[in-house]
Amino acid sequence: MTYLIRFITRNAAGGVEQHDRLVDSPIVTIGRATDQVLHLKDRRARLQHAQLERKDGAYHITSSALAGVTVNGKSQRDARLNVGDVIEVGANIIRVIDTPANVDFAISFELSDDATDEHLASEWSTPAIGIAGWSKRKLSWTLVAAVLLFGFLLPWLVMQNFLTAGPVHSAHSSVGDECDACHINLFQRVPDSGCVECHTVARHTMQQEHVVLGDVRCATCHLEHNEPAELINQHQALCADCHADLPAGVDLQRASDFLDDHPDFKVSLKRPVELEDGGLDWQVEHVDLAGARDAERSNLKFDHKVHLAADGIMTPDGNRVVECNECHVPEPGGARMLPVSMDEHCASCHTLAFDPDDPSRTVPHGDAEAVMQALVEYYSARLLGDDPDAVDRRVRRPGQRLTRADRDRVAAEARGQALAVAEDLFERRACINCHEVTKTGGEFPWHVQAVQLTEHFFPHTNFSHAAHDTEVTSCDSCHNATASEAATDLLIPGIDACRDCHGSGERRRNSAGQLPSTCVMCHGFHFETKDEYP
Amino acid sequence: MHESILAFRKRRYLWVALALSGLSIALYLLHDPQEPPNGGTLLGYTLGTVGALMIVWLAWFGVRKRRYASTTGTLQGWLSAHVYLGVALLVIVLLHAGFQVGWNIHTLALVFMVLVIASGVYGTFIYMKYPERLSENRGGASRSELLDQLADIDRRSRRVAEKLPDEYRELVTSGVQRTALGSTLWQRLRKEDNSRVQIDGQIVANPGQEAAMDWLAEQQSRADANAATTIAELSALLRSKRQLLRQVNEDLRLQAAIEIWLYVHVPLSAGLLMALVAHILTVFLYW
Repeated sequence: MTYLIRFITRNAAGGVEQHDRLVDSPIVTIGRATDQVLHLKDRRARLQHAQLERKDGAYHITSSALAGVTVNGKSQRDARLNVGDVIEVGANIIRVIDTPANVDFAISFELSDDATDEHLASEWSTPAIGIAGWSKRKLSWTLVAAVLLFGFLLPWLVMQNFLTAGPVHSAHSSVGDECDACHINLFQRVPDSGCVECHTVARHTMQQEHVVLGDVRCATCHLEHNEPAELINQHQALCADCHADLPAGVDLQRASDFLDDHPDFKVSLKRPVELEDGGLDWQVEHVDLAGARDAERSNLKFDHKVHLAADGIMTPDGNRVVECNECHVPEPGGARMLPVSMDEHCASCHTLAFDPDDPSRTVPHGDAEAVMQALVEYYSARLLGDDPDAVDRRVRRPGQRLTRADRDRVAAEARGQALAVAEDLFERRACINCHEVTKTGGEFPWHVQAVQLTEHFFPHTNFSHAAHDTEVTSCDSCHNATASEAATDLLIPGIDACRDCHGSGERRRNSAGQLPSTCVMCHGFHFETKDEYP
Repeated sequence: MHESILAFRKRRYLWVALALSGLSIALYLLHDPQEPPNGGTLLGYTLGTVGALMIVWLAWFGVRKRRYASTTGTLQGWLSAHVYLGVALLVIVLLHAGFQVGWNIHTLALVFMVLVIASGVYGTFIYMKYPERLSENRGGASRSELLDQLADIDRRSRRVAEKLPDEYRELVTSGVQRTALGSTLWQRLRKEDNSRVQIDGQIVANPGQEAAMDWLAEQQSRADANAATTIAELSALLRSKRQLLRQVNEDLRLQAAIEIWLYVHVPLSAGLLMALVAHILTVFLYW
């Protein structure tokens, strides 16, 4: 198919020039793209705007543009063309002209005059992006100033805790927001002088005990403002760095890890030491626990096995099973146990009654001579009193006083009865059951050995019973009391019992499920007390 | 051939960022300080120094991108590294802090940094997706060409309206004059069409040219055959104007989205630099 396109241009003088171009193609494409047959240099035209083609025996112009093309003043998307029709695309005018010979269809093409009018939208062509007149630079400087002012300068003046690196430990809550209580000199690390304002050096005798530390500051180990709060350095290396490889001359066993590298326990025990004059002095000795299993010397007799019998024990309330905590009561805070007392824990069964006729009357506990005195007074009263059962029934006139001979006789008789009862109490029935009683001779012939209880078997550890009161533990997890028949048995557990649960100093539970346990879990770095420690 | 900044040199900086993050994580796991992990341990100071230097270097991108004569790497390479190392910074700084946060200047710096990185990741996404959507939407035209097409339709509408009574001319002229393309940022981002038109002496909202088209449809049903054809022609022009308006509004929206995230990213980066200075100063002030 052959199309003829006649290009018409009008020059400034009003003259018309024209030149023809023949196109051999089934269709004539019209658009702004350079591959179009009729290439329009008009931004209002689409890349492929329209095309001429033969359909149903006639020539048509079709357009893919929504607005189509304007044919004879009407917008159309598909129009059948006849000679004389005028097609407008943007500012371009295409006319259908008479078809010359040898050509199938002919058009003329002319650029309209008003190609540049009505740029109504040109004001939108370079839209400004921005936030109400704020440039990025202006926003940036504003934010910098705001951070400087509200993030640093204001907090510096009125709210210093905004500058903290983390919360202050509750132990230091009394210091509160006073940064300069510890941070004494700006741009300098926290010196010890702030610490010793409150913490006395006497308890923190680091300089004497660990001379190897030299001039290490308190805050090297005691770090504030952390989460989780850890004021006390828990790290294994705190101790193990030195104790794994102690310098020559230090009389200590090496210890670097609780599970793998720790000596067996030593225990502090009160033990009798014979004095030069033959008497006994009780001193605390630090001995190997393994070799001291029957080394408790408390001067008491006690059979845990009998008391804790699974089928019970006879009590005034009948036969019943006794629990450990009926006698062993934790102290407030739960670290250690309160001392067992005769009055509170033993007397309900082990009564100190002495006269079957008067079972509610008991002798006092704890002072042998007071026992004797109580007995003498009791029997004197019985001999002399108005009681019809009184022993001395000789008739006396009212107001008549006892003669000296009478008094001596009654006193001697009362003392005789008291001694007989006392002998029974001390040597056979009561005292002797629990105490070491020796017969010394003389006016009052018995001596009860003082009870010497060890108050703290591991004075150098932080052990707490309360911390071990768990669902999976009971007293006999550690203390084998139900098998103990003698008070000389030392029922303190050894390191193996601890290792059932406590493992190495790693940060996580190990494969055996043991708790991570570093040195300071049990030991203090700074020696706080020297009592009971050799 | 176009190469995405993310794919630059076979993702060279992705591997650098992964190596840096991996090394930091490994060191963090291996490091066993005598205190809870925090910025004050040996590793804490190390990661903090690395992080601070990275922040300064990342911010330097704003300078480098204006140095057209610079030959230190290509700008494409800088941007690729800027994106990947910027994300790696998050890992390094969180490890530096030992994951400790609080209401303080230090966490303020962290918050700024996280916001800068988040806006940067958003911006990267925008830069990856939106230019393509922009040119798809324009269909090969430039925005000013779209606007010229709009003007052409307006011109043709006026010409058609001249064949009709005065109220049609009033409709078309007021509709052209009151065609509004998003003039504020918010309107652009939301593609709000606030165009208005005067109908029967009343100025009414004309989003998507609908009010005008409704009025024309009503008139067309009452008009005689000859006028109805002309009215239908006018309606067709307004329909294509609506289509063009949608295209332009989408164009404005995409353009606004491409540019606006930098109004967050850049000022926050400046705030971060200040907060970083305050953070470091505070740390050593209260050493």
